[in-house]
Amino acid sequence: MSYLEIRNATKQFGAGFIALNGVSVAVERGEFFTLLGPSGCGKTTLLRSIAGFNDLTSGEIALDGSNLRIVPPHQRDIGMVFQDYAVFPHLTVFDNVAFGLKPRKVPAAEIKTRVTQALEAVRLGAMAERLPAAMSGGQQQRIGLARAMVINPRLLLMDEPLSNLDAKLRIELREEIRDIQKQVDIATIYVTHDQEEALAISDRICVMNAGRIEQVGTPQQIYGNPQTRFVAEFVGTLNVFSPGPALDGMLGQLGLTAPAGATWAVRPERLDLAARGGAPDSVAVLDGTVTKYTYLGREAQVQVETPAGLIVVQLANPGISATRSTGEAVAVLVPRDAPMAFGADGVRIGG
Amino acid sequence: MPRFNFWAVVMILTWVLLFVLLFIPVGSVLVSSLFDQEGQLTGANYLQFLSEPRFHRAFLNTLVVGFGGLFGALLLGSIMAFCVSRFVIRGGKFVSLLAILALVSPPFIGAYSWIELFGAGGVVRGFLRDWGINMPPIYGVGGILIVFSLKFYPYVYLMVSGALGNVNRSLEEAAEGLGLTPWQRTMQISFPMVFPALTAGGLLALIHAIADFGTPRLLGRGYNVLATEAFTLYAAEVGSNMSMATTISVILILLSMVFVMLQRYMSRRNVYHGNMINKPIRIQLRGWRNVLAHAAVYLIGLCGAMPVIISVIYSFRKTNGPVFQDGFALQSYERILFNLGDVVRNSLTFSVAAVALIVVVGTVVGVLVARRTTFNTSLLDGAFMVPYVMPGIVIGIAFIAAFNTGPIVLTGTAAIIILSIFIRRLPYTVRTTASSLRQISPSMEEAAVSLGYSPFQAFLRITVPLIVPGIIAGGMLSFVTAINELSSSLVLYVGSTMTMPVRIYLLILDGDFGVAAALSTVLLLLSGCAVYLAFRFMGRNEQALL
Repeated sequence: MSYLEIRNATKQFGAGFIALNGVSVAVERGEFFTLLGPSGCGKTTLLRSIAGFNDLTSGEIALDGSNLRIVPPHQRDIGMVFQDYAVFPHLTVFDNVAFGLKPRKVPAAEIKTRVTQALEAVRLGAMAERLPAAMSGGQQQRIGLARAMVINPRLLLMDEPLSNLDAKLRIELREEIRDIQKQVDIATIYVTHDQEEALAISDRICVMNAGRIEQVGTPQQIYGNPQTRFVAEFVGTLNVFSPGPALDGMLGQLGLTAPAGATWAVRPERLDLAARGGAPDSVAVLDGTVTKYTYLGREAQVQVETPAGLIVVQLANPGISATRSTGEAVAVLVPRDAPMAFGADGVRIGG
Repeated sequence: MPRFNFWAVVMILTWVLLFVLLFIPVGSVLVSSLFDQEGQLTGANYLQFLSEPRFHRAFLNTLVVGFGGLFGALLLGSIMAFCVSRFVIRGGKFVSLLAILALVSPPFIGAYSWIELFGAGGVVRGFLRDWGINMPPIYGVGGILIVFSLKFYPYVYLMVSGALGNVNRSLEEAAEGLGLTPWQRTMQISFPMVFPALTAGGLLALIHAIADFGTPRLLGRGYNVLATEAFTLYAAEVGSNMSMATTISVILILLSMVFVMLQRYMSRRNVYHGNMINKPIRIQLRGWRNVLAHAAVYLIGLCGAMPVIISVIYSFRKTNGPVFQDGFALQSYERILFNLGDVVRNSLTFSVAAVALIVVVGTVVGVLVARRTTFNTSLLDGAFMVPYVMPGIVIGIAFIAAFNTGPIVLTGTAAIIILSIFIRRLPYTVRTTASSLRQISPSMEEAAVSLGYSPFQAFLRITVPLIVPGIIAGGMLSFVTAINELSSSLVLYVGSTMTMPVRIYLLILDGDFGVAAALSTVLLLLSGCAVYLAFRFMGRNEQALL
């Protein structure tokens, strides 16, 4: 049995809206588990149900083998980090972090050492006596993190903790969160809508959509082997081929088959460009003309009009010679293992 | 769940409170206005109001002083707000202090001080007469308008200067970039932005001008308005006419409500929320413009605070009975100490009791309004608007109408004065508590719960400390209103429950200006302390005084 088990979690708000529709997940000890999905997909509702801030309409939550739903939220022993930091403005940084130790009847001397340690871990040791009001968002979230960890909770929940921070700080702090989590070895559930963040930080990712789970897996599985069209499009980008003779010809050339009505798609970075006519044998070729060239530094995106639709090709490390101009005739190279087929219900065929 | 029950009880108690202290009095006023002196159901009172020239005049006069006060306040307040928020004015803080002084001094002190200066035997008038300049005394409608303009301009000033400080400068820069002249820019960009504040400040001035009783009474010299008519009809020794007094009260309420609706209608589309990335800056004026701006600001400020200055000075003058002598002495204060201790004590006990009630009930109901949105709180919000449009004199008459006979008899008690102050000030506290609660993110309490505190403990340890400074500050400001309240107390007092404003009013009528000035100074000192404490707790925030 897993450390945290959620079975058939369903949450209905009011008469019509179903936020969670029969969700079952299992999280292991020490695991960094991310709930990923667009806003309104139910990820925050699920997190708040685990914390106890809203109760499920039906379903079970068990932590370490015991039913969590009958435990009131303040006795669940679950640390939580909030999107808006929720740092107490009338308490000093030290008192904020010590706040959760007081109801646990920790002796004063031990509070001092534990808080000091926690503040060192989030690199706020020098700021213990300051009030948080004037501190930056990144520093406030570090307080939130230290405050949630210092009580040695059975579970750590993070609700989009980085979404209010700027891009550079977000990357910096997510590395710290990852390192600290590995050090203290607390099972963590992390909610985000940022796919890159989810890939970077997680042991496993659970992609959610419209109150249901689309796929659970390691970052490599989620990105490299998406099981639904939704996952493929939400995590990374996707070219969808338009059906027709050009697509059929290409599939024939590659020896790929799928049931009728299937949709074929391919990730831009799996494609390559060549001058027309100069393709190796192991790949299929789609002739086309360049309609747009976007240079992004470490990569370039070339939009190509082909008989199988508009296809974006991503080129790594584009040098000066890789620059394409609009109207240029090119061949899009499609390796045999690149195309993915999805059924009419969006489920991957033969993945 | 026990928590649900607690809030359900609070909800029911709130409605009971509103019912007893608001709906019954207002209902009694309505009912009383529909019966004649013999107890017959009739519309005769309203017919009489429509037919008698005296009431026509009072109605028109009320509109005249209302709109006159409104325009005077708008003019002075806008000039001051514009100068202070757009130009570098030396001693800007001092100017704001002058505005606060004008705001927290009871209005009838203004009337009395202007009489001292410009009345029949006024100091300035006498001085000018010595120089051969004969100016008319200040009595009549002109005097009332001057006093109202100088008394109520702070409403406009504080509202508009707040709004002007919130206009994003990028907007004006954008207009400049599009080729608008400074004048066009002001009229087409800045003016629409501050329009809601202008109408809100103007409404406050208008409502207070209509409700004011002391100023027309002391300065009017026969210039009757609805408020004085209502009081005269109620208080006449012979031929007191309660049903006519209540009729006029109903008309006053309706009039105020019309203006509140009108203001809401006028500013309905004009609520702007700008980002404050580019804050407005103050320009350093040069030459005669600088002199003009300073002169305007200081003239308005000093004239507005004049009554306060005068009453402080006069309180130290030597007197012989009611007559002033040359030189200074503490006689007036001695007379307060030996003869009027009970009045001061009454004022303090009533105000403290009212404020304590306001703070406790207002906070609990504010939490109800902000946090228990499942209840029908918008209705509650609406009900709390009602006292806002009821002039003090009307509240007084309404409480007499409701609690003179019947199941609850309160006339002549301290309770009736305390409750009349309580119900008028309660809406303010409920609204400020609710809005400060709405600004505290619910995740703050959730964080405390996740750290091991029960929901009630989380509320106590996190939310309460965050709202307490605001509650104390609000309480202090309620104290200022409570201790300065004249018109409702004047209707409700008996000999043993006389308060300082009532005593001052009676002293002025008796011509005993020395003691009146000394008592006013004491009142002012108490108000000043309360405002100071309020600012200590919430930071200097003049707009909270409105």
